[in-house]
Amino acid sequence: MTCIELIAFLDAYVDDELDANTRGEFDLHLLVCPSCRAYRDTYKETIDLARGAAEREEDLAHDAPPELIEAVLTSKSRHSKS
Amino acid sequence: MVSLGSERATLPEMLVDDGYLIERLRTGDDTAFEELVDHHAAPLLAVTRRILRDEEEARDAVQETFVAAFRGISAFQSESRVSTWLHRIAVNCALMKLRIREQDVDALLPHFQADGRQDPSSVGWSESAEEILQREQSCALVRQCIDQLPEPYRVVLVLRDIEQLPADVVAEKLQITRDNLKVKLHRARQALRTLLDPHMRGTMLAA
Repeated sequence: MTCIELIAFLDAYVDDELDANTRGEFDLHLLVCPSCRAYRDTYKETIDLARGAAEREEDLAHDAPPELIEAVLTSKSRHSKS
Repeated sequence: MVSLGSERATLPEMLVDDGYLIERLRTGDDTAFEELVDHHAAPLLAVTRRILRDEEEARDAVQETFVAAFRGISAFQSESRVSTWLHRIAVNCALMKLRIREQDVDALLPHFQADGRQDPSSVGWSESAEEILQREQSCALVRQCIDQLPEPYRVVLVLRDIEQLPADVVAEKLQITRDNLKVKLHRARQALRTLLDPHMRGTMLAA
């Protein structure tokens, strides 16, 4: 197995979609290739960072803009009457 | 008018209150609708902004979300969480407005030598994701990098890895095959990794 093959199917490896034999080949390559180990680790970290940064954004999003709240309530009143 | 600065219920309180809130909404209680908007507008706006990257359209999508929720309250399944139900509606409203321009991602994918080895080699990052996420400055940088992704890849990454919608739902909404979705998601993650790499290798973001 080469780096190009491992990286082409890294999503299946990370998402645990490979059969046991193929996974074994991946593991063998990872054992001898520090570059692919680093790539696998930073690929997984990328997914965690994307999700984590968005969660932090929502945690900090306490107040919606007042004009949006007004617009929603006005819009609801309009729909209540129609 | 709702009190925007009012104390928010903690998550367990909100779960307990969901049923009562829905009952009041079904009876046409206006204050219940105000409470719903007050509690959920801000996180829903974060979701629609993430998908649309346009403030005005994101706000419109939130407005449409609450109108759709108000109209569809009778269809709400009481075993669901209100936040999950609203999230689903908000994603739908945002996707209705989304216009995806085809953009290439090749420049952000890894390169290889003729023998299949990585060129250049990859190196690990100096901190774990957990450590990086402790700093708001770093979180903002991650979000900026996501925004720099070519549009079709950004949307797939947001819907699958961030909003965590099932693959078949995303494929259907984007009108692409599941295989195409899988390819796009893998490329999106690789492209985001490439954008993050120069920032995360060193200690420039360390406090």
